[in-house]
Amino acid sequence: MNTVTRMNTVTMNTLMNDDLALLGLLQLVSPALPIGAFAWSQGLESAFELGWVEDANDLTSWLEGVLNDGLARCELPVLARMRQAWAEQDQDRLQYWNDWLLASRETAELYDEDIRLGAALQRLLKSLSLAPTDGPTPPSYVGLFAWTADQRHISTRPMLLGFAWAWLENQLAVACKALPLGHTAAQQIIEQLRPSLTQAVDLALSLPDDQLGPMLPGLALGSAQHETQYSRLFRS
Amino acid sequence: MTADFAQPTSKAADSGHRFDPTRRWAAHLKLGLAHREENGQGVTRLVTRQHQGPLRVQRPFYPEGRDGCCHVYLLHPPGGLVSGDALHIEAELAPHAHALLTTPAANKLYKADSHGVHWSQTTALKVAPGATLEWLPQDTIAFDGSRGQQSTEIALQGDARCLGWEVLVLGRQAGDLPFVQGQLDQRFALTRDDRPLWHERQLMEPQHPRFKGHWGQGSASVQATLWCVGLSAPDQAINTLREALPASPRWAVSHRQGVLLLRYLGHDRNEAWSLCLQAWCCLRPLWLGLPAQIPRIWLT
Repeated sequence: MNTVTRMNTVTMNTLMNDDLALLGLLQLVSPALPIGAFAWSQGLESAFELGWVEDANDLTSWLEGVLNDGLARCELPVLARMRQAWAEQDQDRLQYWNDWLLASRETAELYDEDIRLGAALQRLLKSLSLAPTDGPTPPSYVGLFAWTADQRHISTRPMLLGFAWAWLENQLAVACKALPLGHTAAQQIIEQLRPSLTQAVDLALSLPDDQLGPMLPGLALGSAQHETQYSRLFRS
Repeated sequence: MTADFAQPTSKAADSGHRFDPTRRWAAHLKLGLAHREENGQGVTRLVTRQHQGPLRVQRPFYPEGRDGCCHVYLLHPPGGLVSGDALHIEAELAPHAHALLTTPAANKLYKADSHGVHWSQTTALKVAPGATLEWLPQDTIAFDGSRGQQSTEIALQGDARCLGWEVLVLGRQAGDLPFVQGQLDQRFALTRDDRPLWHERQLMEPQHPRFKGHWGQGSASVQATLWCVGLSAPDQAINTLREALPASPRWAVSHRQGVLLLRYLGHDRNEAWSLCLQAWCCLRPLWLGLPAQIPRIWLT
């Protein structure tokens, strides 16, 4: 094989791997992923009920707040840490960050959401022959998302962007059903928040361990109120 | 943290007359409570009492009988924290001890000095298997411009039980002096056998969007959190609280991972305090099979 051919083969393989990683990410963050994410609102339905979020502007502020004070300080940095722990097969660290994540869930519904989505993703991965043989208990959604990213060779940054993207799409789907918000208005919010997603990932990757932890007392209060909300479409 | 507890070395520093940005005035208190058999009765005794600086305890009380809960009052004669103060409180309950720790007055967090020097307060509580801790300090009032870190770590072992609260008032309500500048960094961590059950961090910065945003503080000037670990029937406890406490969008209760959490976000110190008090009165019979015994220091 001459040098040019060998280089072409290497390039082709790299492209092929990048392509498969990208497709793996698209599959993982698709709303069609059958894990029931559509049933959970993460306190947003309660924010509607309490009159905290009444229109597209309120919603944009709420989402930006939850992104910066929640995801960027909790789910995203933990995802990065768990992905690395999976890559190194470090079971102690996996268990540590899994416990840490669940301890930061302030209410029964927010805790359940992680556990139930985790269990659903675990079942799905089994049927795709992709499930881990070992791992932290109980399996959390964030932990298994990190596992899948590692298996699909999705790098840390795209994994975090994908996770935040899936969260945003899901929150907007909640708003389209329950606020209600128009589908075009939802796309306008995406346009507005695209830079915020990348900034949230930057922040998540910059924070040391002792600066982690969500700061969402209002969301926690709303989520606990949701347990007794009279009329509800969502499980959280 | 080592630097925070560095001792002043110069004579001027010892006297406290130092106002540079690195000064630290440390106070420590270490308590140990143990369960002893005395004349056929189980009694919780204060067996360790070490202090350094202006932190003390009074002689313990036994208002629930000699074999009942040991009530201990933590005293901090200065009554509040100023820039450079570093308070450290440790309490350890040995197996089967039962103690209620409280304070005689609100803890005040004063405005930072011209250097913006922070204060710090750390509380480390350890509860052994079979032991029960009630951690019921009076409210904390943060004056406008206060800056500091407050951290509470509770380490439970085995079937240890713990109920506690934190009532925080931002600004002075009576004088209409709101909290418009400063920074409070408040952390809680609750573990059982070294595994985290609940942790939380609040960073209160009046200029930050989360201070007004409903996902965060929602402009609330008063917040309270009550936790309870060791309920045998948490669903019943939740229902009891929801029936007994006045319904309001300002508080809610939930139970996850064996920890009941009640939160309040509002503007009324008395509402928050009486909510916590009522919740404790409702929970204590379910939690310990004992009626709540109001510490008499709260009534003075």
